[in-house]
Amino acid sequence: MTTELPSFQRYQLAFTARLRDPHNQPSLAGVSGKRMAVYEEIVFNNLFESVSACFPVASKVLGKRKWLKLNQAFIRDYSASSPLFRKIPEQFLQFLNNTDPELQALLPPYLNSLCHYEWIELFVASSPDSAKPNDIEPEGDLGNSKPVFAPTMQLLNYDYAVHKISPQHKPKQPESTQLLVFLSADDQVKFIQLNPVTYRLISLLQNAPLTSIQALTLVAKELQHPQPESIIEFGLSILEDLQSQGVIIGTHY
Amino acid sequence: MATISQIQGSGLGLKRELIPQIQSLYGQQPLANINFVEIAPENWISAGSKATKQLDWIVERYPVVCHGLCLSLGGLSPLNGAFLQQVKTFLHQYQIPIYTEHLSYCTDGFKGEQGYLYDLLPIPFTEEAVHYVAQRIRQTQDILGQRIGVENASFYVAAPISEMSELEFINAVITEADCLLHLDINNIYVNSVNFGFDPHAFLHGIPGDRIIYSHMAGHYEQTPNLLVDTHGENVIDPVWALLEDAYQLFGTFPTLLERDNNIPPLLEIMHEINKIAAYQDKVERRFIASDQLAAMD
Repeated sequence: MTTELPSFQRYQLAFTARLRDPHNQPSLAGVSGKRMAVYEEIVFNNLFESVSACFPVASKVLGKRKWLKLNQAFIRDYSASSPLFRKIPEQFLQFLNNTDPELQALLPPYLNSLCHYEWIELFVASSPDSAKPNDIEPEGDLGNSKPVFAPTMQLLNYDYAVHKISPQHKPKQPESTQLLVFLSADDQVKFIQLNPVTYRLISLLQNAPLTSIQALTLVAKELQHPQPESIIEFGLSILEDLQSQGVIIGTHY
Repeated sequence: MATISQIQGSGLGLKRELIPQIQSLYGQQPLANINFVEIAPENWISAGSKATKQLDWIVERYPVVCHGLCLSLGGLSPLNGAFLQQVKTFLHQYQIPIYTEHLSYCTDGFKGEQGYLYDLLPIPFTEEAVHYVAQRIRQTQDILGQRIGVENASFYVAAPISEMSELEFINAVITEADCLLHLDINNIYVNSVNFGFDPHAFLHGIPGDRIIYSHMAGHYEQTPNLLVDTHGENVIDPVWALLEDAYQLFGTFPTLLERDNNIPPLLEIMHEINKIAAYQDKVERRFIASDQLAAMD
């Protein structure tokens, strides 16, 4: 295949192969190693800085040496498909989720979850300016209608308490963790920790044509709760709280 | 919202971190010489609501040109048509009359994908490469329905397989693709030091009537014979001399300052933009490529 390419493309392939893996790929005949090193550095540093900027916790938790090695594997093994610089961290995440078992075994089991948690902040921050739906009632009756969530709101479900991880606090075992992320009206990314019941409630309200009270009644049933009224009361107060924080922007007519 | 004839005089390569300063000083004398601004579509396409609000503010007040980074005109993978459609929509949405790209590549088709490496890599100057790149420029122009400008790129490694000089390559590509030239004055200087040629002789060999607009920038001197195009320093005197020479040769053309790293306060950047304007004032403006395009409007 390669031999059919014109000579300038064969040269380009050897050139980028060297950029992707300077430690193992041969240097190019007739090309100064010092000059080539300029490209090796700028290409790697550019990617490394983009990735590191998005994952400050993951990079610290992993430590300098391992983080460097992981980024070297990223450029060596991954073929990025987006021309947008902003998407480099997302592609790093895809790389992480598809790493070979050998590399994966060297990484802590919570790393992918942690990286997803760090990336989602960037992702939500750059979500498009989706206009608010027209058919919403900003001050509607929360209980007897279907709440409308901020368009950027996402539910997050992790096996680890990703929001607590730091170099001083590396999880020793899984801890099921539910979070919610959204972009506030003043363009700030905000996270809220949820208990499993609230997570279930919001998930129902997002995906099923239910009013808040109907969804809460269903939740109470799933929990086999002896006093469904207390669940409804508790749930409505949570929804009011979410409304005051801007997660709920109104109700459907 | 701009038409091509509004891209005039001196301008600024827009960085997001400069926007608050532009907003607070807008309409005041110190910014008078920002006549247009340049953005990279890669940094603004689907960049989120905050960025959109900033861009709306800019576009309402300044003529804008687009200068791409990742189209990979010399790349090994097929031209990214989906991305080019996004660029086209973006240009239409903001009524941006000019789109330029680099004579370089940033994709290697790794594993059957685009394989973006996000940097400007040097195309070997061969006959086959001329046809290949020219064909991709034509393809781009067909999709966009307008001519594009291509920028002379800076580089650090000379391909031993090259069959012609950079100048011959640029001229051949522009002729064959029937496109415009986005002249980077600093890149001429950087390459002249890195590869030992006379930058003024180079300037005399470029197709001046194809210039759509130009770039001024600073670079980093790694060693006396290796300059790196960082856009992180002030413009040095030999580069100003080249700009003056170019204006003498071809008449003035729109010129903007790029400052991408180590960014000083806007008022400091204005010194260099004002200097561009002062050089332009010294020389009579001549008929240039943007007039041709304007005549076609």
